[in-house]
Amino acid sequence: MRAAQFCHSCGKVQPPAPADYFTFFGLPRKLHLKEAALQREFYELSRKLHPDLSVRADAREQAWILEQSSRLNDAYRTLKDPIQRTQYLLGLEGVQLEEQSKSATEEARTAGTVKKQVVPPALLEEVFELNLQLEEARLAKKMGEPDPELVRELEQQKKKWEAQFEESLEELKGYWHEWDKLIDHDAAPEKRAAVRDKMVDLLNRRNYIRNLVRDVNEVLEG
Amino acid sequence: MAYSDKVIDHYNHPRNVGSLDKSSSDVGTGLVGAPECGDVMKLQIKVNPQTNVIEEAKFKTFGCGSAIASSSLATEWVKGKTVDEALSIKNMDIVKELALPPVKIHCSVLAEDAIRAAIGDWKKKQETTKPAAVEAK
Repeated sequence: MRAAQFCHSCGKVQPPAPADYFTFFGLPRKLHLKEAALQREFYELSRKLHPDLSVRADAREQAWILEQSSRLNDAYRTLKDPIQRTQYLLGLEGVQLEEQSKSATEEARTAGTVKKQVVPPALLEEVFELNLQLEEARLAKKMGEPDPELVRELEQQKKKWEAQFEESLEELKGYWHEWDKLIDHDAAPEKRAAVRDKMVDLLNRRNYIRNLVRDVNEVLEG
Repeated sequence: MAYSDKVIDHYNHPRNVGSLDKSSSDVGTGLVGAPECGDVMKLQIKVNPQTNVIEEAKFKTFGCGSAIASSSLATEWVKGKTVDEALSIKNMDIVKELALPPVKIHCSVLAEDAIRAAIGDWKKKQETTKPAAVEAK
C-alpha cells in the first residue's frame, strides 16, 4: 500500500487532498481486500497522525494532521466493513439509491407507466405477509395470549431469512470477484455497469432481508 | 427530527386502513417498497366500472410515521377522483401537505408509486376482462 498523507522526501504531513477512501489508503478500487493488511496500515497511519506527536508542528500543520486523522478513521471504518465498502464503491460509481428511486418515479409519471420495483414482486409479497404475521404476534403478546402456532411459524421464518441473509453475502462476494477482474483488465464502462447494477439489486434485496431478520428476532425474543 | 402535526394526526388516526378483495375485477392493488428503509406499502382502489371514479381506497403500510401518513393521505386524495385524475397526484403534493422534511421525501415517492401501481393493476384487469375484439386482427 502506498498512502499519500506524507511528503515523500521530508515525511511531513500533507494538506488533505480531495481523494476517495481507496486512494487514501493507496488501494485500487477493488472489493476484495486483505483486511489484516488494511488494519496494519490503519494502525501505522494512526500512529504517524497522532496529534500528540505533532506538538512541534505549526498551527497549519496541526490542522492538517487533525483533518487527515479524522479522514483516516472514516476511511478505515468504511472500507473494513464488506457491505459499507461495497456501498461506498457503488456511490463512487455514480449510484445514488434514493435518487435512483425518485428519478424512476418521475420517469414513470412522464411515461404514464408503473414504476418498476427494484426488488422482485414476490419478495415484496413475502415481506408484506411476514409483517402481517409479526403484527399479529405482537398484538397477541400484548394481550397476554401468545399464539404457539404462530410462534412456531415465525421460528421457521427466522431460520429461512437468516439463511438467506448469509447467502446474500456469499452472492455479493461472487460479484466482487467479477468486479475485481474487470478492474484488473481495465474493462469497458458498460461491462462494469452491468456488475455494478447486479450489486445494487442484491443490496436492495438484502436491506429487506436484514429488516425481516431484525424484526422476527425482536418479536421472538422480546 | 419532529413530525408535523399532520403527520402525527395521520399516524395516530390513519384513514382507510384495511384491504379490498384482490381478485375482484374492479379492484386494483399496488404493492411497493423502499429498499433504503425496508418499508412496504400496499394500496388498493375500487373503481366504479361506469364512471371510472375511485369509490374506495384502502392501505396497509409497514414503515415509519411518514410512510404511514403519506399512504393514509394518498387514500384520502384518490377517493372520489377518476382514475385519470388520481394519476396526476405527485409526490411533491404530499410533501407539501404533510410538511415532510427532505430525509422523508422517499415516503411520498412511495405513496405516488403505490397509487400508480394500483391503477396500473386495475387497468391491466380491464384489458383482460374486456371482450377480445381488439385482438381479432
